[in-house]
Amino acid sequence: MTGTVINVTSGSQAVLTLGTTQAMAAPGGTNGLVVPLMQDVTVSASTGSTRYSTLDSTASSAFTTVNENSVSLNMLVDGATFFGDGANASNDIANKGLLQTSKEKTEINFSVAFNEGNTTGEYYVEGTGFISGLTPTASIDAAVWVSPMEIIVNGELTRVIVS
Amino acid sequence: MSVIRDSLITQLTTNLSGSNVSVSSELPFTSGGEELYNKNMKTLYVDEEQIDQETLYEVLDRNNVALNTSTLNAYVTLDAKTQLSDINSIIANVLSAKSVITNTITSESDYETDMDLDKITYTFAFRFDKTV
Repeated sequence: MTGTVINVTSGSQAVLTLGTTQAMAAPGGTNGLVVPLMQDVTVSASTGSTRYSTLDSTASSAFTTVNENSVSLNMLVDGATFFGDGANASNDIANKGLLQTSKEKTEINFSVAFNEGNTTGEYYVEGTGFISGLTPTASIDAAVWVSPMEIIVNGELTRVIVS
Repeated sequence: MSVIRDSLITQLTTNLSGSNVSVSSELPFTSGGEELYNKNMKTLYVDEEQIDQETLYEVLDRNNVALNTSTLNAYVTLDAKTQLSDINSIIANVLSAKSVITNTITSESDYETDMDLDKITYTFAFRFDKTV
């Protein structure tokens, strides 16, 4: 059987959108803030587990605990996205920017489109969380500002298949 | 027409005013089998800008950031038997003309010499790195 890869070569795939509501944060959502200039994005759906040993077994056993989910990425810093455009009255994240939203610990809605996420059968994951991990760095060799970012997911990631 | 070349020629003209070397805005083409800087000694000629581009950052939305490296050479031929009295100042002023090009990551200049019979040719190299 041959699998079908999800490629990211079109420039409109692997897109992170932030919004104050889930509808706004959906791929292509009105007033959603699409985080530009991402170098990479990682969706981490990590199942917690605890291992234990018993005298009657030569291998350890495990049981699952709560999931710890996050979205992490590296990006080139876009001024309006990082510090806010000061204009978007509908989306406070776009208005104030990533830094201020992180400082204020505002819970945000997000989606990560695996493909464009707006056509029937395409995939994206969504959830809510808090922006963290902004560490903008510049050097003369790097030539531009770059920063990692993490969304600490509050609760579960939700799988969406566009219908 | 190269903006960097034009700016460099303007700055070189300023820096070398009053010296024994003048600056031409012509390209150092070959005329009658001889380069202009060999034919017209004590005249500095700036060659065309060469641009080399490489991708500095690839991003998922394809708005990649590239690094442009511009290289320009300038040539002047002098009498090797009798060095100009102000040759040290001329060299310093040519090399320092790089500062007119702004908003660069790297701005470098150096030179080398080549002697042929009683002529010495100074080849100056300017390199500028910019993100685009």
